[in-house]
Amino acid sequence: MAKNVLVVDDSSSVRQVVGIALKSAGYDVIEACDGKDALRKLTGQKVHLIISDVNMPNMDGITFVKEVKKLPSYKFTPIIMLTTESQESKKAEGQAAGAKAWVVKPFQPAQMLAAVSKLILP
Amino acid sequence: MSINLDQALQTFIVEAHELLQVMEQSLLQLENEPADQDAIGAIFRAAHTIKGSAGLFGLNPVVSFTHIVEDVLDRLRDGSVAVDTALIAVLLKSGDHMLELINVVASRGETLQPAALEREAALREALSTYQAPHSTPDTGVQNTETGAGDTSAEVLWHISLRFGVDVFRNGMDPLSFLRYLETLGQITQVTTLTDTIPVLDSWDPESCYLGFEIDLRSTASHATLNEVFDFVRDDCEVRIEAVDETSHKAVSIGSELVAQAEQGPLTASAQRLPATSEPKNRDGNYVRVNADKLDELINLVGELVIASAGASLLARSCQNDPLQEATSTVSGLVEEILDGALHLRMIPIGDTFNRFRRVVRDISQELGKDIELTISGAETELDKTVVEKIGDPLMHLLRNAMDHGIESADARRAAGKAGKGHLSLNAYHDSGSIVIEIADDGNGLNRERILEKAQERGLVASGAVLSDQEIYNLIFEPGFSTAEAVTNLSGRGVGMDVVKRNITLLRGTVDLDSRPGQGTVVRIRLPLTLAIINGFLVGIDKSTYVIPLDMVQECIELDEHQRQSSCDKGYLDLRGEVLPLVDLRNHFSHEGSAGRRQNVVVVRYAEHKAGLVVDDLLGEFQTVIKPLGKLFGALRGISGSTILGSGAVALILDIPALLNQIVQLEARTTQAPYSPTVVAR
Repeated sequence: MAKNVLVVDDSSSVRQVVGIALKSAGYDVIEACDGKDALRKLTGQKVHLIISDVNMPNMDGITFVKEVKKLPSYKFTPIIMLTTESQESKKAEGQAAGAKAWVVKPFQPAQMLAAVSKLILP
Repeated sequence: MSINLDQALQTFIVEAHELLQVMEQSLLQLENEPADQDAIGAIFRAAHTIKGSAGLFGLNPVVSFTHIVEDVLDRLRDGSVAVDTALIAVLLKSGDHMLELINVVASRGETLQPAALEREAALREALSTYQAPHSTPDTGVQNTETGAGDTSAEVLWHISLRFGVDVFRNGMDPLSFLRYLETLGQITQVTTLTDTIPVLDSWDPESCYLGFEIDLRSTASHATLNEVFDFVRDDCEVRIEAVDETSHKAVSIGSELVAQAEQGPLTASAQRLPATSEPKNRDGNYVRVNADKLDELINLVGELVIASAGASLLARSCQNDPLQEATSTVSGLVEEILDGALHLRMIPIGDTFNRFRRVVRDISQELGKDIELTISGAETELDKTVVEKIGDPLMHLLRNAMDHGIESADARRAAGKAGKGHLSLNAYHDSGSIVIEIADDGNGLNRERILEKAQERGLVASGAVLSDQEIYNLIFEPGFSTAEAVTNLSGRGVGMDVVKRNITLLRGTVDLDSRPGQGTVVRIRLPLTLAIINGFLVGIDKSTYVIPLDMVQECIELDEHQRQSSCDKGYLDLRGEVLPLVDLRNHFSHEGSAGRRQNVVVVRYAEHKAGLVVDDLLGEFQTVIKPLGKLFGALRGISGSTILGSGAVALILDIPALLNQIVQLEARTTQAPYSPTVVAR
């Protein structure tokens, strides 16, 4: 069974591009548009990897990561943060919260795939 | 790897347009309330998202320009740049330029025209004054092909890995890094080191005690290999060395041991984003659906309605009670589906309204007038097609109001009014239709001048007595344009008659009210939906016609005696009121003579009322509008057709056009009292 990747970003085009890239590599993709939505989608299904933006309405990425880390079933789930080159402080904050991997925006789909495949296989 | 991103690119373009609109609205909001952190957050996020997404598609011109805008916005957000009108103006123009970039670069895949590039250079210049002094406008695109250049010969690498205890807890799987290494080359040997595993009592199953010694044969550079361990850098020790295979001696590459950097407490989190809660998160529980798919669905539902009507008809003729009951249940459900499907197409008019804030701001500056726009009823929902097509007429009416309606501040004060002009856009439901009002508090229309002009153009016979209302509505007549009214804003060749025509095409009407010195109100009345109407079936001869039900007021029986007298006169005495009659049999040139009994359907649209003489009343019917072919485009009085349950075709009457014909006929009869009352066209 393919691995589920949860993609959290308020931009639907980012979700779509990441989704297309991951699906082409054999992952299954679940999309969420902000932290709150993502937390809802974590329940009831197994997610093997989380990719989350930082700057989002409703619940930002850092808060979301902290919340995920509180969930027993997602204790060992890798999280990739989408940061920007201008957000060094955010990257550090994300890592402190528990998201040890990151991809810098703007990224090419191939870069995203490389980052994901370092963490899990399809 | 080839990934087809065309569809995603379309999403990006739609999304970017929305974001730019949000950005524009928030900028205007910010202009009113310079301290609004929510607005700043929303603007920043819009620019940020556009830049991030544009990068995905390799749209470097968009990324590079947006990067500068984002830079300035970042400084705005942290307070190092203050909000002022000049900055807002530059940012608004930057938004326009981003829109142009997206339209040109993303939609059409072209490069910018020289004129646009000049504008961009000017904007970059203007923006740079707000940027931090040290910041250089780089492209923002990271070159990630580090070390891609040195694809030299294969090297045998020796990698020493010691994972930290927290690796599992951080969501990392040590094995996944080994697997990833395999994609870069060939792992020739792996030795697993277990010497740090503690005695069973103190073994924490959530901790990692593993280490690996790996031999990898690969063409990848040292930097590329180093990047593999980026994500575990904090949690592990890694040493990568090239092995000199001839002497089997590790070549020292320097300080490759990446010390487990004890970064200490992270201090960078001091500056948190202000909580940027967005009042309406549009993306939340919505599914983006292609409009064509929706149209297809509605079309199918339309067919379903017709089919179910056919089934009911058959069931009734079978005299089979259970069958009738079953079909009536189906009809009920179909009707619900229909309502639901039609609702899918409804979108609030607010987005269209909000676009005008910018227009009003720009035009009022251009005209040197101080004008404020108030919007109400933004949540009123309308059919998507209507919302899309109503923008241009509204824009024209607004421009007219600003240019001709609202006076200059001095003139206003002289007339005892506040210097600031008010313009309002309002939308509301009214008996089966939607009304959009554009009101200004300007000078009102000049009754005498309009009348004079209309007589000059031969639109009104001299000596005709017209009500104020009728005179004001003359400005919607084709060929009416007050020449001295042409300024650089209005009078661009688009007259009020075009406004009226566009609205008529949407099956709507427009009328106008004005009070000298107090202002003008233009009222646009639009149907709720374009696809399906509740119709009232009437029969003439063997043909069936549909009258939109919301225009039907009442039905009256007309006996032979009454008919003779009233048809000759062309009107009916309806409880003391004069009701003009249209004999549809005559009007549509049906052959054969009328039956003994006839009926009058009293219809009303806006202020007009008339009676339509028909043979039979066949009752209510959910009518799916099928447009007529181009061949019939010139037909007046017919707006479309529909298919009945029996499979027969029925024509849908265009009541406003019919009533208009009556009004014109009346006008003619007042001039020539002896002409026949009803003329078949």
